[in-house]
Amino acid sequence: MIHVHNLDIKLGIFEIKNVNLRIAKGEFLVLLGPSAAGKSVILESIAGLIPISKGKILVNNRDVTYLKPEKRNISICYQDYNLFPHLSVRDNICYGLRFKKDKHCVKYSKNFKTLIKLLELEEILDRLPLNLSGGEQQRVSLARGLIGNPDVLLLDEPLSSLDPNIKWTIQEELKTIHQTMHTTIIMVTHDFTEANYLADKVALIYNGEIVQQGTIEDIFQCPQSIFAAQFTGIKNMFWLSKDKELKSFGLKQPAYIGIRPENIYIHHRPLRTYYQYQGRINSFKNNGIYMEIELSTADTKRNYISYLTLNRFFELKLKKDISIHFGFNKKDLIVIRP
Amino acid sequence: MLKFLALSFTKIYSIYNKNLDIFLFIEYKLGRNRLFGSRPEIIYIIAAITGIIILLFNVFPIINTFYWTDSETLIKTLFDREVIASIWLSVKCASITTIIAFLLGIPLAYYLARHEFRLKALIESLIDIPMVIPHTVAGICLLTVLSPRSIVGQFLEQNNIETLGTEIGIVIAMLFVSMPLLIDAAKVAFKWVPTRIENVSRSLGANQVQTFFRITFVLSWRGILSGMIITWARAISEFGAVIILAYHPMVAPTLIYERFTTYGMKYAIPANIILIIISIIIFIVLRLISLGGKEKYDSRS
Repeated sequence: MIHVHNLDIKLGIFEIKNVNLRIAKGEFLVLLGPSAAGKSVILESIAGLIPISKGKILVNNRDVTYLKPEKRNISICYQDYNLFPHLSVRDNICYGLRFKKDKHCVKYSKNFKTLIKLLELEEILDRLPLNLSGGEQQRVSLARGLIGNPDVLLLDEPLSSLDPNIKWTIQEELKTIHQTMHTTIIMVTHDFTEANYLADKVALIYNGEIVQQGTIEDIFQCPQSIFAAQFTGIKNMFWLSKDKELKSFGLKQPAYIGIRPENIYIHHRPLRTYYQYQGRINSFKNNGIYMEIELSTADTKRNYISYLTLNRFFELKLKKDISIHFGFNKKDLIVIRP
Repeated sequence: MLKFLALSFTKIYSIYNKNLDIFLFIEYKLGRNRLFGSRPEIIYIIAAITGIIILLFNVFPIINTFYWTDSETLIKTLFDREVIASIWLSVKCASITTIIAFLLGIPLAYYLARHEFRLKALIESLIDIPMVIPHTVAGICLLTVLSPRSIVGQFLEQNNIETLGTEIGIVIAMLFVSMPLLIDAAKVAFKWVPTRIENVSRSLGANQVQTFFRITFVLSWRGILSGMIITWARAISEFGAVIILAYHPMVAPTLIYERFTTYGMKYAIPANIILIIISIIIFIVLRLISLGGKEKYDSRS
């Protein structure tokens, strides 16, 4: 179990304040946030690579706050792989073992075999890192981090510099590894889909602070801040303050309401949704698997964004500037109180 | 002068326009990017011309000395004990200097490559100071420290360590002028090794010293080695500071200077040639070691 307690870090003018994390053994935590939010800094401070100014880090009830990185039994993998270029793949993977007291223990050779098999590294064991593709390098880096049974594996955007196909494969492999080896993993990413796929728990970070923590479901269904809402893909956010509007949405005090683009329905005829509007299509963008449509209403003067599958879009024969009916249901409404 | 240059440029350019064939050939040899059409880029033409001037300027004076003597005196000088002793002394002192500079300079270079702090720029300039001082001036500065009137000189005298006019003096003079080169080269070499790769090594259980020797040093040794070659070359070519601290025993440059001032060109040149040959041979051998061992993982060279 890992417990990060009231962690403060100062790096020049950048500050990280009051980080509290609690990760159960074998759990997969994703630190999610936009770039420059301080995610990697938190990760490196857990590894002991950046000094902290306040707080405590406990790993399996062992206080590691002031231990050197090599004494913590926490390994880290970076986005840019950082394999040791002068060592073969095999030597890279086994690098950490030579510093272990029980280096000839059977569990490590067992780990080696498992990892090689899971990550399909058998054929490249004797090659040098320079001759490997990005995906292969990241696999080696994962194997290297995992072989010594670390208490925690830290992953700093491990999938960000891979091309999409490889990314999916490695993402799946990462999940399989996590399920077979039961390692506690903390991963940093800015990609919500990665978090969706991998995380048991998510901590949302913004401007050096944790804004929300919980399961993916929690954050997806009840975001507690505008940032969280926007980050999880709620494109339609409106500030309501007028009494009339508040009443129509069943609210008493001014608040934000949000609605996911995929929950807005469009048709030529009036719909049977709880909230209904008449408007027109301002513009649309083809995003490959869905169509992003910008709608505007005549009466409330608001712009909405809606997603439709391409098929549906062509079926409805939608065009720019045509008049349209759209609406959404009450259950899809997300209310955020400031 | 400017007019002459301008004229010659226009002339070269007109020749170049008329005789495209020749220039295209030169250009082809220079590896021109063919995307830019059939005309060679003017900058490359200028580079070729200035390059030839520079190479001639470097190599011609050295080759020219060979015409000033005959093989008989050359062979005679080769067995001249004084010459051999002085060259040996030069090589020995330069090598000792390089080793000392290495031992003293590497830790500091590593620290400077890895840390940012307030007075860093000042410290870096202090390290480089010997490079901007004329070497005779540097020699006199060192002399004031080593003379019995200073604290250091007194301490050395009490412990019966003689520096002036000994090999120690020579090494001190060489060290003073050549150490900055090693520190700078090592610093650049260390900066090439990403901090993250060290972080990974630490997180895998290697302490800082183990990480340094297993990763950082292995990945930067080529840069450090070429820094050592430059340091060695600078040390063996040092003259100004050396003669002030130790005229005797004579290192090769001192010997050549003495022969030149007392007997003239005729006697200086054979020793000159031998020193040139030996220096170049050692330089080439070291360069080959540092380049020839080019390993596959070094993507930057």
